[in-house]
Amino acid sequence: MSVFYEKFDRHSHGEGLKGHSTHYCPGCGHGIVHRELAESIEALGIQDRTVLVSPVGCSVFAYYYFDVGNTQAPHGRAPVVGLGHKLANPESIVISYQGDGDLASIGLAETIATAQMGLPITVIFINNAIYGMTGGQLAPTSLMGQKTATSPDGRNQNMGSPIRMAELIAQLDGPVYVERVALFDPKQRIKARKAIEKALRIQKEGRGYAFVEVLAECPTHLKKSPEDTEKWVKECMTPIFPLGVLKDKSAETEPWWDRKAPSFAPEKVLGLMGVDTEPAERHAKGFPDHFKCVDISFKLAGSGGDGAQTAALLLARTAIDEGFDATHIPSYGPESRGGTSYADVHLAKDEVLNPAAPDPHVLLAFNAPSLTKFAPQVREGGVIIYDSTIITDPGVLPAGRTVYGVPFTGIATQLQRPMVKNIVALGALQAATHLFPAESFMATLRTVLKDKAALLPLNEAAFAAGQNAVGSPVS
Amino acid sequence: MAIPASQRPKPFLEPEYCKGCLRCIDACPKECITEGDAINAATGLVPVNLNLDNCNGCQLCVQACPEPYGLRPQAGPVATDAHGDFDLEDPKNLFGAKETGAPVAKAQPSEEIPLPLGQPMVLKGTYASALGALLAGCRHVFGYPITPSTEGAELMAKVLPKLDGAFVQAVSEVAAINMMYGCSGAGLPCMTFTSSPGFSLMLEGISYMIGAELPGVIVNVMRGGPGLGNIAPEQADLKLMTRGLGHGNTHAIVLAPATPQEMLDLSRKAFELSFKYRNPVIIAADGYLGQMTGVVKLPATMTKPGLPEWAVWGDREHRGNLICSIFLSEPDLEAHNVKLLAKYDAMKAEAMFDTYRTGDADVLLVACNTPARMAKGAVEDLRAQGIKAGLFRPITIWPFPIEGLKPLLPQVKRLVMVEASPGQLEDELRLALSHAGLACPPITPVQRYGGILPQQTEIVAAVLKGGAR
Ligand code: SF4
Ligand code: SF4
Ligand code: SF4
Repeated sequence: MSVFYEKFDRHSHGEGLKGHSTHYCPGCGHGIVHRELAESIEALGIQDRTVLVSPVGCSVFAYYYFDVGNTQAPHGRAPVVGLGHKLANPESIVISYQGDGDLASIGLAETIATAQMGLPITVIFINNAIYGMTGGQLAPTSLMGQKTATSPDGRNQNMGSPIRMAELIAQLDGPVYVERVALFDPKQRIKARKAIEKALRIQKEGRGYAFVEVLAECPTHLKKSPEDTEKWVKECMTPIFPLGVLKDKSAETEPWWDRKAPSFAPEKVLGLMGVDTEPAERHAKGFPDHFKCVDISFKLAGSGGDGAQTAALLLARTAIDEGFDATHIPSYGPESRGGTSYADVHLAKDEVLNPAAPDPHVLLAFNAPSLTKFAPQVREGGVIIYDSTIITDPGVLPAGRTVYGVPFTGIATQLQRPMVKNIVALGALQAATHLFPAESFMATLRTVLKDKAALLPLNEAAFAAGQNAVGSPVS
Repeated sequence: MAIPASQRPKPFLEPEYCKGCLRCIDACPKECITEGDAINAATGLVPVNLNLDNCNGCQLCVQACPEPYGLRPQAGPVATDAHGDFDLEDPKNLFGAKETGAPVAKAQPSEEIPLPLGQPMVLKGTYASALGALLAGCRHVFGYPITPSTEGAELMAKVLPKLDGAFVQAVSEVAAINMMYGCSGAGLPCMTFTSSPGFSLMLEGISYMIGAELPGVIVNVMRGGPGLGNIAPEQADLKLMTRGLGHGNTHAIVLAPATPQEMLDLSRKAFELSFKYRNPVIIAADGYLGQMTGVVKLPATMTKPGLPEWAVWGDREHRGNLICSIFLSEPDLEAHNVKLLAKYDAMKAEAMFDTYRTGDADVLLVACNTPARMAKGAVEDLRAQGIKAGLFRPITIWPFPIEGLKPLLPQVKRLVMVEASPGQLEDELRLALSHAGLACPPITPVQRYGGILPQQTEIVAAVLKGGAR
């Protein structure tokens, strides 16, 4: 049987008899399922493609035995570890081999989510109604009345009743094949062997996810002889966990799993990221000296729909395209959907040191709360521009700042597009500050709208209207 | 076509490999197998007896046997005595000496592909990090939405399908990190974007990745905590990233970018380091940096990843490999820990830092991430007021770049620790000083919590006010 290692070197370094015997207790169902799995892998000729994910539980050491690619997963996470393997190499055949504690308790979320995704992997679920490795505690599949180390008086209603995983998995849309089998007599073992091979064939053919639940024997913790355990599985487990096919859509599901190798073509990556290969146009003569500093800061503030963030980005981008450094930090109020929204922008001749703008040179306010909050922070000699359509009474503003009221909203409404009020505002900002020539901003608009050229005339008009509306300062 | 009974192989059994479970007895329709009566000296178990006179070779007993080298069909003649008993032969003759039939895998090297000259981009931090990952050859991203990191994942979800890569929105952060465990176990570069509460959930998986020596990049855009906290920037996961990466003896290189450009550069670098050391690498960003837009220049090349020799790829060449963090015997696990410790030690060579106006500085500000930028602004303000201030910015938080700090110390009268955490960076610095046998200068802490970053004016005021502990 070539799918088993010829020597179990990983079992206590293969010393003595351990080199050829399992770590399982006498009569344990795991060994039988291992044999069936090994035979199925061999029958399908997939040994070289197989990645077996060992779980946590008694079968944690499944990798001692199978001469396939092996990985050992954290408790309950085997199916998602398997998914990682499958997506890395779509050609691989991935088997997630798990016990009841692993699959139906700690890993329930991973189990269900992976099944529902339905990508072609094979899950072999060993249900022996008890925790093996930790020493015989209550499993999610323990039967009512079953005495375990953590249900010494028997499982009762306070612990809930056993979970039927095959039924649960079968009612999801993802899986194409779900069957529950057992090992308690020769007939069941033959059926189990067939089910395992079928589940693997479905994966090999790229038809989807398959799940085989195996009712298995844990003589040690049931404190019964292997023979009596077989009987217990047959007589006590099968009424709760009925055997048979719970779902089989394998025949009508066409092979669909077909993934190409990832692309590493540089043009493709850069194209998707929107990298420009043409140098940006430059229109400014240099860094705006009239602010008498090498780092100019801005606050653009409004409510969610005002477009303050977009205007801020356009401002930063204009500076960067002119060859300077710039940053933009968006900030949303706690009620981030539709609440307050403000942006800190810096433009620097060489490098923006601190991107925060607690005392901006320029404030662009789209609503009254923003004006009230931020106007006092504008530094002396700075500029305040506000939407005079919305803010009819600006109240008392700090002295020593140049203040402009521009009807952003009014102009945008005249243009039939209230959403361009931020572009109107940007035009106003240009005219009020002479930061860069208007053409610099126009170039930015052309760049960002290069895939939406139809919107360009409207935006240009909005910008120009904002510029023209800047009259003499209010104060 | 059915093989006649006379030609079907009969079973044989090495008694040493029989555990005496008796499952084969019921399986045999011909009653060829009976309960044994003698304890086997080698195993202390009682193997069954076989009398194959009536055996028809149906193999039902073989199918019932849980032991791979228990009951097996005879391949060719097997020397037996009249009762079908065997002597234990040397397993080398019986089974072959080797563990796997797979060949020894060779590493397939990665390739650097030249990039066409692109113009500087205007990108937010999370996007820059995503681009850095793409240029590092990452085509597999696993994530769970959490503010303020999600935009990185959103960008990947848009771009990766077009590059025939994969973005999977996992059922939880726990699942996401374990998808990374799988994908990385297959030898490919992969990553996730998360934020503090999600990062907490990933710690189990990170410990397993470190134990199993798996690469992978985790971008933690830190937000306010503890608990659900808020979505504003904080730096209070530094302790978790430097000292608390899940259970056991764990460490990972922690990179702390301060600009969108560094989000790209360090994300790219993270993959290189991660594969170099077969260990996860953490990008510690803060909420501001994740959202901050700035200028980002592109590197000259893009990496096309190879396939490491240790990968469990799912092909013949890599069949002999195992990804695993279990070492059952104590000496084995100790040896594994010693190996990991040597690796952590080697990682110290990767320590990175940046300095700003430290030449003659006697007041040294120390900060990382966005607070380092507020501190940089403060250095200018302080200099304008005649104070010889400078900034030391660790880029690796673990390992702490103590060698970079050391030469500055003789002239430094005071350290000013600027951070959005209650001294977690300061603790790293103190530990590093102490391990290096260096005296710690007086420290003035400038700390904010709960999603508020220390502002330039506060830093300046704290320095002017003086006072240290
Ligand atoms: S404890 Fe139970 S499940 Fe575990 S190896 Fe022993 S018999 Fe098998
Ligand atoms: S091969 Fe069939 S008849 Fe022969 S010993 Fe095994 S079960 Fe019995
Ligand atoms: S089933 Fe296998 S291990 Fe159990 S008694 Fe029979 S030969 Fe021995």
